[in-house]
Amino acid sequence: MKTVAANRLTFDRKKVTIFLLDHIIEVCLVILIIGLAFGANGFLTWSNWMNIFRSNSLKGVIAFGMTMVIIAGLIDLSIGSTVGLAGVIVALSCRDLTAQGLDLNTACLIGMGLSILLAITVGWIQGFFQHKTGMPAFIVSLASLYALFGLAAILSGGYPIANQFPDWFNQLGMGRVGGQAGIPIPAIILAVSFLIVLFIMGYTTTGRATYAVGGNPESARLSGINVGGTKIFVFISVQILAVISGFMTSGQVMAGTYSFGKGWELDVIAAVVVGGTSFTGGVGTVWGTLIGVIFMGVMTNGMTLLNFDIYVQYIVKAVIVFLAVLLSSYRAQVKA
Amino acid sequence: MSALKIRTVDITKDYPGTRALDAITLSFESGQVHAVVGKNGSGKSTLVKIFAGATKPTHGDFYLNDEKLNFNSTSDAYDKGIVTVYQEMSLVPGLSVAENIFLGRLPKRNNAIDWKKTYQMAGELLKKMKVDIDPREKLSRLSMWQWQVVEITKALSFNPKVILLDEPTSALAQNEVQNLFEAIRALKNQGVIVIYISHKLQELPQIADTVTVLRDGKLIGTVLMKEVEHKDIIGMMFGDVTVQNRPKDIKVRDEVIMEVKGLSRKGWFQDINFKLYRGEILGIAGMLGSGRTELLRGIFGADPVDNGEVLIEGKTYKNTNPVKMVKAGVGLTPENRKTEGLILIHSIRDNLCYASMNITADGWVENKHKRNTFAEKQVRELEIKIPALDAPCSSLSGGNQQKVVVGNWLNTGPKIMLYDEPSRGVDVNAKQQVFEIMWTEARKGISTVFVSTELEELLEVCHRILIMRDGKIVDEVNPDGLNTSELYELCMRGD
Repeated sequence: MKTVAANRLTFDRKKVTIFLLDHIIEVCLVILIIGLAFGANGFLTWSNWMNIFRSNSLKGVIAFGMTMVIIAGLIDLSIGSTVGLAGVIVALSCRDLTAQGLDLNTACLIGMGLSILLAITVGWIQGFFQHKTGMPAFIVSLASLYALFGLAAILSGGYPIANQFPDWFNQLGMGRVGGQAGIPIPAIILAVSFLIVLFIMGYTTTGRATYAVGGNPESARLSGINVGGTKIFVFISVQILAVISGFMTSGQVMAGTYSFGKGWELDVIAAVVVGGTSFTGGVGTVWGTLIGVIFMGVMTNGMTLLNFDIYVQYIVKAVIVFLAVLLSSYRAQVKA
Repeated sequence: MSALKIRTVDITKDYPGTRALDAITLSFESGQVHAVVGKNGSGKSTLVKIFAGATKPTHGDFYLNDEKLNFNSTSDAYDKGIVTVYQEMSLVPGLSVAENIFLGRLPKRNNAIDWKKTYQMAGELLKKMKVDIDPREKLSRLSMWQWQVVEITKALSFNPKVILLDEPTSALAQNEVQNLFEAIRALKNQGVIVIYISHKLQELPQIADTVTVLRDGKLIGTVLMKEVEHKDIIGMMFGDVTVQNRPKDIKVRDEVIMEVKGLSRKGWFQDINFKLYRGEILGIAGMLGSGRTELLRGIFGADPVDNGEVLIEGKTYKNTNPVKMVKAGVGLTPENRKTEGLILIHSIRDNLCYASMNITADGWVENKHKRNTFAEKQVRELEIKIPALDAPCSSLSGGNQQKVVVGNWLNTGPKIMLYDEPSRGVDVNAKQQVFEIMWTEARKGISTVFVSTELEELLEVCHRILIMRDGKIVDEVNPDGLNTSELYELCMRGD
């Protein structure tokens, strides 16, 4: 009897260690929130939290798609350019199609449709060529980063295209449900996209295939999984989410600007990695990314409330990302 | 130059549960190529490891001339002038031939690399090997046999007394082998002891001066190549083995399930034609490099083929791919389960359900209950020993991993199973269990194509055996009444 009890105890301890390591980022987030609740004035207010969600949803939405891409063993650096291009396309449609006598709402919807079409095309091209040629996704998407940025700059002539959107489109970025103090619409879009990606990755064969392709593409292929199709699917997903983020971003400032989203790819990747998704592919959760997004958001918000120098904030971010990756490689060793 | 001699006295090597080498006493002299042959598990690779300093003998000593050798590491062996050239190449494709030869020891002048000297020294070595390779050429531009020669030249640059060549021709095409042999003959004329490990018997008369045969860790004998014939060596390698036979109750039905028609892949296999019947276990026997693995992969659509088609239940598949073949009811357990069969970091449950992903799901949405049921069924029926369904596949032993690969396919309810070397790296017990699985499935009417290097396995398990040589099916035999030596002879016979 005694040995059994002892065994159970040691077993449990190992389980607790693994549980803590698996949920280390949640634990850190809770500690961070408790600390800021005491240390930072105005942190635990409803309006502050709604602001955190409002400002972090723009990148957060893309992070879910990036999670799929990284789990599949790939990377997409081009999403920042897609954000800017989507805003430019919608703004141009609103301006030029109404000039042709088209109704503003229809023009805007056409612009949105074109942006989604662009997302599908870019995602397909990246997935197809990466799969067929074996080119690193890093390089393939670096090429799209430049191409899409250039395209957005050319289309917009290098200037913001302001005050062209119908009001409902602006509301995508700055609207709130439930009045001035209500829930920001970007936060709702964040929640919806979280649920959709969570469902795909956790409950469907497509999600399972994504994990398999990232875990070992050759084994996946020889198990009859459509590897190329899966890669195309995840690239299209992240591109569509980037376009949606572009709608919100341009709506928020009521203008389409080619340089919106520039440099976002690294912030998005940081949130995904902090959320525990492994860069080697095959490992990661959508839930972890949500926590990663909130963690990065809360941290930035807290540092701002505490009047941290903006440049110091970069150093803190560096430490966080570094520690997160260190922990996940340690976790991989503990399990093996 | 004075003659060199490496000899062993009563060398024995014990591993837990097996004696890999049993009191081996032999000697090899310089100026000759000494072939060491034996089937898998004969102890020839253990002997190489001892000479190379990779492992120490349990008992016994070995000497170079009269100096007793005692190696604690592979670098000790290098210091004494014993260099091993392994099958897996250790060259860097992006560097030049000369850089590869002197990697890590490039000659320096004033702390900078002396390129002129590097190329000159490499050029001299290559000249000694009697090959025409430019030392400035990038390795990636050379063909396979040239790689092998560069590897040997690199070994030669250490001024060795003994060079061990471990299956140097295994990756080479027929015409390339001749070029390599030229280089090996040049090497032996340098006064080096050349020990040549191979299982390609047909090559030996061209290159070997003596042949030493090992079987089950024992020295069977050393003979002069010119005094013996092929079948003498085969006899020494296999002895009299009694082959266990497959259960008698498995009946092959008179119904063709799969027909391969004129399947070709340039450089690998040509014009392959055969029929597979329902419930049949069909073996494909052939040496390494005969194209058997590539043929299985070609049938499964894992690699592209140039010509030909596969008919399954009358339906034609041309330029097919694994996705289509899984739908057609075909499964393949690949040669290398770790890199091609499993996703080691994922759970046992996931690995048992990848191929059957669409069957265990309700449309697009996965059914956790069904996945569990399917996974548990295979764990039970194949007697897979697992800590938990959630444990990563990497935590399992080789035999259990192989069973997971098989279970992954049985969950798809296949009509045809293609097994590529299913017994490699699994213990005797697990091996027998894998055969039991094939028989059980055959009773249910599943047809099997079974590829193996272990010929006695084919004799034990199969209803019919196709002989594959140099990418062609050259013969078809009935395993009943055939013994291993005869089958080996058929696989080796050079026309």
